[in-house]
Amino acid sequence: MNRPQLIKLAESWFEKQDWKPFAFQKQTWKAYLQGKNGLLNAPTGSGKTYALWIPVVLEYIKNNPDYKTKHRQGLKAIWITPLRALSVEIEQAAGRFAEEMGTQLTVGIRTGDTSQKDRAAQKKKMPDLLITTPESLHLLLSSKDYDKTFENLNAIIVDEWHELLGTKRGVQVELGLSRLKTISKNLKIWGISATIGNLQEAREVLLGPGSGSYQNSELIRANLNKKIIVRSIIPEKMEKFPWRGHLGLHLIDEVVPIIRNSKTTLIFTNTRSQCELWFQKLMHKYPEFAGEVAMHHGSINKETRLWVEQAIRNESLKAVVCTSSLDLGVDFAPVETIIQIGGPKGVARFIQRAGRSGHQPGKESVIYFLPTHAIELIEASALQKAVKKTVVEDRIPYLLSFDVLVQYLTSLAVSNGFFPKDIYPEIKSTFCFQGITDEQWKWILNFITKGSQSLQAYDEYKKVEIEENGLFKVNDRGVAMRHRLQIGTIVSDAMLSVKYISGGYIGTIEEWFISKLSPGDAFTFAGKNLELARIKGMQVLVRASKKKNSKVPSWMGGRMGFSAQMSELLRAEMYEARESANSGGGKSRELFALQPIFERQQRESIIPGKDEFLIETFKTREGYHAIFYPFEGRFVHEALSSLLAYRISLLSPISFTLAFNDYGFELLSNQKIDMQQVLDNDLFSPKFLMDDLNNSLNATEMARRKFRDIAVIAGMVFTGFPNKLIKSKHLQANSQLLFSVFRDYEPENLLFLQAFRETFEHQLEEGRLRLALERISNQNIIWKACEKPTPFSFPIITDRLREKLSSEKLEDRIRRMLIQWEK
Amino acid sequence: MIENIQLVGQNFSLHPSGAMLWEEKQMLLISDVHLGKISHFRKYGSAVPQNAIAENFECLTRVVDHFQPEKICFLGDLFHSSLNLEWDLFENWMQDISAEVMLVVGNHDIISALKYEAVGIKIVSELILENLLLTHHPEIRENYFNLCGHLHPGFKLNGAGKQQVKLRCFYKSGEQMILPAFGEFTGNYWISPNVGDQVFVITKKEVILVY
Repeated sequence: MNRPQLIKLAESWFEKQDWKPFAFQKQTWKAYLQGKNGLLNAPTGSGKTYALWIPVVLEYIKNNPDYKTKHRQGLKAIWITPLRALSVEIEQAAGRFAEEMGTQLTVGIRTGDTSQKDRAAQKKKMPDLLITTPESLHLLLSSKDYDKTFENLNAIIVDEWHELLGTKRGVQVELGLSRLKTISKNLKIWGISATIGNLQEAREVLLGPGSGSYQNSELIRANLNKKIIVRSIIPEKMEKFPWRGHLGLHLIDEVVPIIRNSKTTLIFTNTRSQCELWFQKLMHKYPEFAGEVAMHHGSINKETRLWVEQAIRNESLKAVVCTSSLDLGVDFAPVETIIQIGGPKGVARFIQRAGRSGHQPGKESVIYFLPTHAIELIEASALQKAVKKTVVEDRIPYLLSFDVLVQYLTSLAVSNGFFPKDIYPEIKSTFCFQGITDEQWKWILNFITKGSQSLQAYDEYKKVEIEENGLFKVNDRGVAMRHRLQIGTIVSDAMLSVKYISGGYIGTIEEWFISKLSPGDAFTFAGKNLELARIKGMQVLVRASKKKNSKVPSWMGGRMGFSAQMSELLRAEMYEARESANSGGGKSRELFALQPIFERQQRESIIPGKDEFLIETFKTREGYHAIFYPFEGRFVHEALSSLLAYRISLLSPISFTLAFNDYGFELLSNQKIDMQQVLDNDLFSPKFLMDDLNNSLNATEMARRKFRDIAVIAGMVFTGFPNKLIKSKHLQANSQLLFSVFRDYEPENLLFLQAFRETFEHQLEEGRLRLALERISNQNIIWKACEKPTPFSFPIITDRLREKLSSEKLEDRIRRMLIQWEK
Repeated sequence: MIENIQLVGQNFSLHPSGAMLWEEKQMLLISDVHLGKISHFRKYGSAVPQNAIAENFECLTRVVDHFQPEKICFLGDLFHSSLNLEWDLFENWMQDISAEVMLVVGNHDIISALKYEAVGIKIVSELILENLLLTHHPEIRENYFNLCGHLHPGFKLNGAGKQQVKLRCFYKSGEQMILPAFGEFTGNYWISPNVGDQVFVITKKEVILVY
C-alpha cells in the first residue's frame, strides 16, 4: 500500500466513528509516513493520541501486508508520558484503533506502578506499543541486552514534552533518545507539546541541535481556537476577608453552587495538604456530597487514583479535589467546570487547567479563580488579560546536568557496560551536553570509576569498573541493585508507605512529617482520619481515628513562582489598581472588590506607581521588619532578598531571616535596620551582582537545597524505598552534612559546582534579576516608616518558610539571642 | 573556650570539640566518633570526598594533645560499620597514643573485640568509676550518675526575628550527661530540654551554656 492508500484506511476508520480528522492529524500522519521526526503542538483533549499512534499502525500495515493473519512480534513504538495517570487513557485509545483495524498489535504499560510479575512477562515478550515514563525507559536501559529490546523500534513519542522540557526528566529523555538513535534503526522521534513560549527550541532539545533528526523534522501546530472564560469568586464582604489562612476555605460556600450546577467539577489546589484540607472541609460541611466528591493527588495509592479517574469518565462524580496530579493528558469529557484555588503562578498552567473542561468541540472552557488572600484578586484580574492575549512562558531546558549524566552512565554500566568512545559522541549530540568539554567528560568517567580524580591510599571506592578491554561495567550486584532502585530525577524526602494495622495500603508519605508525630497522634491522609500506631521499617502502621484534632501533612516543595510574563501583567494591574483607588472605582470586578483594602493601604502607606519603588518598615513583637515591593515574582525576590541582606550585613554585623512571595520580600531582624544607610549606599546597584550573589548564596540555603537533589540523582545519597525491603543500614546520610563535606574538602567537584550553577540558572533567573535591578534603579525609592503591618505586607510577614543570612560571629549571635531571651 | 563544670562532686572540662575531660581521673571521654563512615560510603559506591577522612583523626589528635590525658575512654560508636581500610589509619593513630584506651561498646561497634585488643584497646560493656556509670546508651540506674552518648544531641536556639541557630551540645538532664557526637560526618537529634536541664552548645571555638 502506498501513503494515500494508508491514509485512506485511517480516514475511513474515522468516518465509521462519525468523526472527521483535524488538519493537524492528517499533517502528522503524512509527515510520519514520510519518515520525518517532529514536534506536534496540540492541547490536551484534541485528539493528539490519534495524530501519532495511527501512523505507527499504518507503517506496520505497510511493512506487513499480511498483518491481519500474522503478528510480527517485538517492541515497535514507545510512548513516553510524564504521569502514570495518563497511561490508561492512551492504552485504551491505542488498543481500540489497533484492534478495529484488524491488526494483532498489543499495547502495554510499564511504570512505577507495574507489578514485578508483569515486568518479568514484558521482558520475555514486549508489547508492540509500550507506554512508559522517562524513569522506566532508563530502567529498561539498565537491564541486560536492552539493545535487542529496542532493535526494531520504529517510533518514540514523547507526550507532554513541555512538562518534561524544563526539568531533569527532560534531560533523561534526551539521553535515552541519544542511545536509541544508535541502536534502533529506522527510528522516528516525535514530541507533543502544549503551547509554550519556546516551541522551536523545544523541538531542537528533543531531536538534538543540528542533528540529522532535527534537519528531517517538522513543527505542526493544531491551532484549535478554544474559548476560555475566567470568573473570579469574590467574597461578598471584603472587610471580613481574612489576610491569612492561605487556603481559601472561607469561600467554601461559594464553591458549592458551582459544583451543583455543573456535571463534573475539578477543583485544583496548589499543594497536597491544601487538597486534603479542602476535601475534608467539604465533606464535613456538606455531608450530602459523600460518595459524589473525591480526592486525587500523587501520594494516594494507585487503586484509588485509578478509581477516581474512572469515576470521572463514567460521570459518577460531581467533583474531585485534586492537585497537579490531574493537570495533564487524560480526557475527561464530563468535566464542565474548573475551580482554581489560589494563584496558579503561571499563565500556561492556568490555561492548561482551564482546558481540562469543556472537551467537546465547540464548547468553551470555564475556570473559576478562588483567591486565598485578598491581594490574589489582583492576580485574577491579571490572569484574565493573560488568557486573552495568550501570553505564555518559556520552559528553560537544563544544561550540563552532570548528576543525570552520572546516573545514566551508571545505568549503561549496569546493563551491558559501555565503551566511552561510543557513548561520548552520543552525549555530545544532545542539547543538554552540547557544551561538555573533554576535561569534563574525563572528570565524569573518573568520578564513576574512582569516586574522585586520582587514586588515593586507603580507598575502597567501588562502583563502575573498567575491564581489561576498556569496557565500563558494574559487576557488584549490590551496587547494581541500589542503582536500579534510585533511577529517576524526582527527589523527595524518604517516603514511607502508610498501611492499616489490619492490612490495606493507603499511600506514601514523607518521612519528615511522620517524624513529627508520636504514636497515638491523629493525622489526616487520603481523606481519612488516621491514628499513628507505630513505625516499622519503612512502613507507617495506622488505624482509623475518631479524634477531631488531626494534623494535616504538609508536603515539601511545590512552591511555584510567577513567571516573568505573569509578573509584568501583575505590575500593570497594580498600576491600574492605583489609578482606580484614586478615582474611587475600579475597572474590573476584582479591583473594585479590593477597594477597601487599597484604601487602607493608602492610608497606612502608599500603592506604588509605575516609577515608584516602595519600602515599608515597622516593628512588631517579632522584631524589625523591612518590606520591599518589586513585584517581580517569588524567585527574583528570593535572589534580591539574599543579595540585599548580604549587602546590608557588610555594613555591620547583623542577622536576618528572609521571606518572599510573588509581590515582594521581607528582611526581618532582631536589630533595627538603618534604612537611610541602605539608600545612601546604593545597595540596589547592579554592580558586582555576580560576586555579591555568589557570596550571599554561600550564606543561605539555596545552593544547599539544589545540592540535595544532585547528590541523590548522582547516587551519592541512598534514600531507601517504601515497599521495598532493602537494607540501607549505615548508608543513610544527611545531604546537609554532605554539602558541608564537599564545601570543605572538594569544592572543585563538578557536582558541587553544579548546585551553584543551577541556582543561578533555574532558581534565581539571573537575567530577570539584572533587569529588575535596572528597573529599580530608574524608579524613585519611597521609604515609608509605618506604625504597623500594612495590607500589602501581611501575606509576606506571615510566611513561615524562611531563609537565613548572618554576618555576626556565631558566638556573638548566641550571646545576643540569650540576652534577648532573658529580657 | 573550655567550660568547667562539676558533676556529683567531680570536676569536668567540656571541650568545643565535644570531648570532655574528667579531671580527677585525667580521663578523656569521647563519644560517637563514627570512624570509617566515609570509607563505608565509598565502598558502597557513594563518592563522599576522601580528603574528609583525615579530619576526624586530626580532631582527635588536637584534643588529645590539648589535654594530655592518662586515659581515653570512647563512649561507643567508635567505628561506624564493618572493617574497612580506615582501620589502618586508626592503627597508625593509636601508635602515637601513650594513654590507656578503652571502648564502651555501642550499637555500631560491630568490629571484633580481638581487633581492638590487638591495638591495645580494652573493650567493656560499661564502666563504673566512683559513683559514675559510663555507658553508650543513656541509662538511668539508681545511685549512679550516667555519662553516655548514642543520642547525638543537638539544640535549636531560637531568637527574635524568627532566628534560629542549630548546634551540637552537651545535654545534662537529671542524673545524666549526654555527650555530643564527636564525629564530623554525623547527624543530630534535636533535644527539647525540661526545666532544670542544662544545655552546653559547642561552636568550633567555644562551649556556651544556653539553657
